[in-house]
Amino acid sequence: MVEITIRKRPRTDAVVTQRKFFKKTARGKVIKVIRERYLRNDVSCGIEHCGLCESGSEATLPASGAFDHELYPNGHLIVPDTNVFLSQMDLMESNSFNPHIVLLQTVMEEVRHRSLPLFNRLKGLVKAEDKNIWVFYNEYRSETAVIREEEETPNDRNDRGIRKATAWYNEHLSLARPPIRGKLQPPLPTAILLTDDVANRQKAEKDRIPCISIRRYVEGMKKSGLLLDLLSTAGEEIEPTKAVAARQVLYPAYLPMSTLLAGVKAGQLHQGHFNANQYNYLEGNVPAPAFSKPVLLVGREHMNRAVQGDIVAVEIFPESEWKAPADEVVDQEATLRNDDASDSEEEREDDEALAEQKLLAVEAAKRRAAERQPTGRVVGIIKRNWRSYVCHIDSTSLTSSNTTSLSQQTVFATPVSRLLPRIRLRTRQAPTLVGQKILVTIDRWLATSRYPEGHFVRALGKVETKEAEQESLLLEFDVPYRPFGKAILDCLPQQGDSWIVPPKSTTSPEWRDREDLRELLICSIDPPGCQDIDDALHARLLPNGNIEAGVHIADVSHFVLPDNPMDHEAAARGTTVYLVDKRIDMLPALLGTNLCSLRPHVERLAFSVIWELTPDAEIVNVRFTKSVIASKEAFTYEAAQLRKDDPNLNDDLTKGIRLLNSLAIKIKAARMAAGALNLASPEVKIQMDSPESSDPIDVEQKELLETNSLVEEFMLLANISVAKKIQETFPQTAVLRRHLPPPKTNFEKLQDILMKRKGMVLDVSSSGALAASLDKCLDPSEPAFNTLVRIMATRCMLSAEYFCSGSVSRDTFGHYGLASPIYTHFTSPIRRYADVLVHRQLSAAISYTTLHPSLHSKSHVERTLDVVNKRHRMAQMAGRASVEFFVGLALKARGEKQTVTEDAFVIRTFRNGLGVFVSKLGIEGLVMFKREIQFDADKYTITVPSDNGDTTISVFDKVTVRIEVEKDANTQRGKVKMTLVNPINSSAL
Amino acid sequence: MAATSKSERAYIQSALHASPPLRADGRSLQDFRNVLLETGVSPLANGSARLNIGKNPEEGGGGTEVLAATKLEVEDIETGDGVEGGRLICTVTCSPAAYPQLSMNALDDLQYDYTTVLHQILSHPSLHPKNLGIIPRRKSWLLNLDLVILSDAGNTYDAMFLAARAALWDTKVPITRAVQYQARTVGETLRAVEESMDVEGVSPSGFDTRQIPVAADFELPDYWDEGEPLEGRDLWPVCITLNVHEAVHFLDATLSEEASVPSQFLVAFSFPPSSPSRVQAIRTIGSGELQPSHIQTLVQEAEKYARQLHTALNAKLRDEDIRRHQKAKVKFANR
Repeated sequence: MVEITIRKRPRTDAVVTQRKFFKKTARGKVIKVIRERYLRNDVSCGIEHCGLCESGSEATLPASGAFDHELYPNGHLIVPDTNVFLSQMDLMESNSFNPHIVLLQTVMEEVRHRSLPLFNRLKGLVKAEDKNIWVFYNEYRSETAVIREEEETPNDRNDRGIRKATAWYNEHLSLARPPIRGKLQPPLPTAILLTDDVANRQKAEKDRIPCISIRRYVEGMKKSGLLLDLLSTAGEEIEPTKAVAARQVLYPAYLPMSTLLAGVKAGQLHQGHFNANQYNYLEGNVPAPAFSKPVLLVGREHMNRAVQGDIVAVEIFPESEWKAPADEVVDQEATLRNDDASDSEEEREDDEALAEQKLLAVEAAKRRAAERQPTGRVVGIIKRNWRSYVCHIDSTSLTSSNTTSLSQQTVFATPVSRLLPRIRLRTRQAPTLVGQKILVTIDRWLATSRYPEGHFVRALGKVETKEAEQESLLLEFDVPYRPFGKAILDCLPQQGDSWIVPPKSTTSPEWRDREDLRELLICSIDPPGCQDIDDALHARLLPNGNIEAGVHIADVSHFVLPDNPMDHEAAARGTTVYLVDKRIDMLPALLGTNLCSLRPHVERLAFSVIWELTPDAEIVNVRFTKSVIASKEAFTYEAAQLRKDDPNLNDDLTKGIRLLNSLAIKIKAARMAAGALNLASPEVKIQMDSPESSDPIDVEQKELLETNSLVEEFMLLANISVAKKIQETFPQTAVLRRHLPPPKTNFEKLQDILMKRKGMVLDVSSSGALAASLDKCLDPSEPAFNTLVRIMATRCMLSAEYFCSGSVSRDTFGHYGLASPIYTHFTSPIRRYADVLVHRQLSAAISYTTLHPSLHSKSHVERTLDVVNKRHRMAQMAGRASVEFFVGLALKARGEKQTVTEDAFVIRTFRNGLGVFVSKLGIEGLVMFKREIQFDADKYTITVPSDNGDTTISVFDKVTVRIEVEKDANTQRGKVKMTLVNPINSSAL
Repeated sequence: MAATSKSERAYIQSALHASPPLRADGRSLQDFRNVLLETGVSPLANGSARLNIGKNPEEGGGGTEVLAATKLEVEDIETGDGVEGGRLICTVTCSPAAYPQLSMNALDDLQYDYTTVLHQILSHPSLHPKNLGIIPRRKSWLLNLDLVILSDAGNTYDAMFLAARAALWDTKVPITRAVQYQARTVGETLRAVEESMDVEGVSPSGFDTRQIPVAADFELPDYWDEGEPLEGRDLWPVCITLNVHEAVHFLDATLSEEASVPSQFLVAFSFPPSSPSRVQAIRTIGSGELQPSHIQTLVQEAEKYARQLHTALNAKLRDEDIRRHQKAKVKFANR
């Protein structure tokens, strides 16, 4: 018989042990919460062979403790306080930091209460195999449970609980191993309280509980040099004995969080994401819904320690103090070159700060009154969005005397992104880190410190090596790039790459409800070297004179089933990321480039959209079906074009392509008539030497063929047809894509420039009107001018986004750029997760499968699409950055042979420079003038005075620039430097 | 309310007029049955008490049993629900088990009668606690006082008021801190603040609209703390019911006694700590008539009884506080 003991707690006991607290809900109600707590005596201490606890085999801590610390020769284990995890998580996670740790429940709960991300890292830490952590539920063990005293703050109560648990451990260790007569008593290990809270340590010392600060503990360890770098500055205590000179406060203090929220609620403060200005480090803005223009923040003091991406609360100044954004390029490196990183001379009213203020003052005088926008200042941070940043060590901030020494020094790290301030960090490895890309985390930004303080996380590798650059790119844009784990690969078909479509039979699950389209003349048209072919096409004449056209998309949802590890990973990755020399797949390569890829001459599963179209390309009907196809040919755009244009070829496949092409031309014409925009973006192609070596040799612009447009039109048609179908079937949760019309104010500046410089009018009242007026923006002498205007117009627009049809009102479904009332993404499920969701919904809409419950939940679809939208944006930025890097490499290679000069268009004028766009290379650059020039902001011109007459340059002027890639001496950052060659040589200016 | 026959009533009445007066359970006219009280019975309420009059010690049952609990709720003044300075709402529910003989409608009527009396007396402005406001003009507390009559063995009014007083005594109001955002002018320095302080040295005027506080929201500075007691908790009244039959009156009537008297006379007294007692309310119940001169003597008598009851109740409430806090802690520490 199993003995059942009912541990019933007397009711009088409950009064003190239950935990009562009040909670204020989001709606402003106050609720009382009660948590019952049952105290027991059998909560295990986790020490192996403990005579008192029935811990059994689970115990993880050796009875003797750890002997590797010089201060504790008798062995020890540590009991960390909450502040250790809050500020030193990087240290705790380090592979070389493995003391025996007792993690108290009190600490866990406090960490969870303070920061959910840190709590998740802590949970990961507990599970990690190389760590010796035992979670001790001290609040449930009757000896170590504490109840709150009258007048005691929650924090003090928790500290008391932690001290009590530490004391209990020490007592428990001695009781568990009573001395045996005649035997030499082995040394007893000590449980040490590890905390950076001075008050807590003082109280512990009073109670004779061993305790130590983190810094001192790490210093006593064997690998202290490495670990000390990982110590965050945030947890750094100020020893009470050490006199601290009062530092000058450089920034206004933040308002408390509750005040901020109250202010935002009352409409007196405005909340938004902080965006730094990439041209001027002393300026930023915060888009606020209450204003049509973003709120401008001018100067360090008003930006008040906000970092790119933080959610901040801003206070708006009275309208009389509103300002216009600066029209000058202010470079942090240039202005603050001489700033000293080390503490001693910092933070004084030094020359740099004065220079900076002077700069602001001068600039303020020049600001024009015309373009004023709401101006304000940051009064508090709602949420920090700090992460790890890729940086370089600023070599000039090293103290020159000890370039080779290993002593700790304070240096500046310059982030790769221009949007971030320099980060000050202390390191012992400074000399070895110079010339490397490193990852740095910001810990804190005190009001007394001009720069944020951070710590070194890890080195990525030598600057300009492709591996380091690639990883830094992926980290910078938060792209998940780790290889797929085992759980994910287990979701693949067991046959691996020998998987084939089974022979047709009625019993085979693959053939259930699938149409056999193997006989159709289907082909795919893709860019050269494309491995993940997700679409194929066919067209044929029907006996009634109409045309049957079909788009066949890889049936990814057949392989990626909902709610398994592969699906979760794909949802988290959101999209495949294309870098110039690497592709980060959303799905494992076996699916992406093999089983799903619609390769020629093999049978593949597909999801087909088949239309019957009149010869005038009007849709008679459309049907959707799962199918099995066998592509007859995989063309490149060029090959397809050649085949179509070759009059000697008259086989059925060629005819099919011609048929498709004729339809595409008509569809496109209809789309344009409906007001679709023909947009342009500066796309270039990096010419690689050979597929193996990834050294770029040249950059060329992408060429667009008729066949590009052919594929595009049919994909658009398929997407629109599918969007209609799933929206009809699942009006609440259909996954759609929309492009909101841009606010008119976005175009104001472009309209003004066009009017003043070219006398052209841009009508932005609708997408059709915009398309028509863009067509009229022609400069007969300069064919590229039209493209330039299109690029600039594109920049004024909002970006398209995925959304859940039930979450927004029906009249905002439209796609502005395509002038389609409804749109989605269906055609690239191999590389976009949204398409996978659309496949599942369409498959349910044609009753092929049932819809997974998660796709019936609006909140789940919304959450998934939020991630996909974010990943999509990041992937685009990463791709662009990768192109930029390779353009830089190519330019460098080219520049070694001769000076590179290219034609460029002026796209912006600054008080001290020009923004130019080199269309041939697809890069933007800055031409800076050191000498004073005349600047006419209203006319968008600058005038360079010289001896033989003034030269005026205005926006849209074609100029010639010399492009050089120079390595920034301080940061090792490759920088494109442009100087004007024609109409005037600016190298002397 | 229990069915009582004419002869039964005559028997009880004649016994009251006997010398010495006789009651079925042997009490004298001014005797109360045993009163049992426990506070803090409902952990999720802000204050609670359970009261029993006349529990039979041998059988462990019987008597009039009332459960009272208070619950605080945040109300928005701007949207119209809340009242500046907070408000109190009393509700009495009668358990159908206590009145098996009544139909649902009759039960509703009874509940309504009890609720009206209790609410009118307790929500009187002279008793209103001052700490029910949260943010002036924006938020206030709504204090819900809910009573459940679990069983009725007579004298429900006294029992309800005792239970209500105990629950209100026990009530703790969570401490709130108003948070406000004050727009500061640009480039404002400490000096500027001082200057403006000087200017505003003039006495505040009603016309000065600038001084409207703009607090928008509040926070709980200490979410673990139960809070502070209601202000003026000494003032909550005790009610005494005099059962009047001709010249005789007696206290704490049982059900059959209640049925035998033509009128009941309710007086609620509040005892401010350092000033004379205050009559909070007077009610008469029943079909009998009372002469004004008689009423005066009754009120004087009632004051005497009420004071005794008040003193006894206060002593018990203090005992309860000690039991629930100090003693429990000591017990926990010595476990």
